Amino acid sequence: MTLASAQRCPSALPRGTGPSWAGGRVLSASVAGFSTQAVRLDRTLAEVAGHYASPASRQPDRRRERFDTLASQWRDETRFLSSTTDIAMHPAYQGIIGMGADALPYILEDLRTNSGHWFWALKAISNDDPVPPRDRGNIRRMTDAWLRWGEAKGLFHP
Amino acid sequence: MMFQEWIVLMATRGGFPRLTAANCRPTSPYDDGYNCIAWAAGDTERWWWPDAQFQAYWPPGVPRETTIEAFVAAYRLSGYVLRSDPTFELGIRKVSIYALDGRPTHAARQLRDGWWASKVGRDIDVEHTFEALDGPTYGRSITVLASASP
Repeated sequence: MTLASAQRCPSALPRGTGPSWAGGRVLSASVAGFSTQAVRLDRTLAEVAGHYASPASRQPDRRRERFDTLASQWRDETRFLSSTTDIAMHPAYQGIIGMGADALPYILEDLRTNSGHWFWALKAISNDDPVPPRDRGNIRRMTDAWLRWGEAKGLFHP
Repeated sequence: MMFQEWIVLMATRGGFPRLTAANCRPTSPYDDGYNCIAWAAGDTERWWWPDAQFQAYWPPGVPRETTIEAFVAAYRLSGYVLRSDPTFELGIRKVSIYALDGRPTHAARQLRDGWWASKVGRDIDVEHTFEALDGPTYGRSITVLASASP
């Protein structure tokens, strides 16, 4: 196979002799002697190969990781506090609020699984509050109200 | 988690350096449905706190502010009045309000044996001696309220 044909159709390279599709270079030979266009094509195809070798569905969800880390820290460091204000003003909790709407599905899932005082964050992020005034402080009813809200918004599937 | 482990966690990482297995005993499992302020008022259904976001319960008519005066006013609705003596008196219920840097942090109610019952944040209920929870998390008891037992 010629280098020219490899440039035209890299997938035609014999297996094991040409590109590494897991993010490696398409042209295994040195770039010396190739045109600028060929080198650029090589790089582009390498990026494409890397993209398909590691699709989004297989990449770690950084937002999920960030939420889990912050939520764990928050839970550990506020478990003995009674002040709703101090619990919500904890830096990790504020970090989750800072994630914005991305955090809502994770918060709702955590609310269902672990309970927890997520109401301040849910209200701050969504600018909404489905809890009727008579249920303020009733954690079970507040949880139910927010889970129903999340389900109605398509953010949470029980 | 065994109670002994919990004591160690509280004493080392929780900010309760005085706490030991000798001055504290567990009475109920983890429950984040109510807090110490509610527990001291006899409410195990709600979380009490005068937060500005109106997420927690706070008795209607009481100033929604984190001050000793507001907390005293909240317990006054349950018949409590200011009383400085934390020792047990027959026929008298007592509630102790803890504060750190002048801000309320915690409340406990007295038991018939002179010990105090506390809900520790979202965690478990415990019974303890008067000063067992003193430290950098709750500060210390600064106000004792009393009411005739029903």
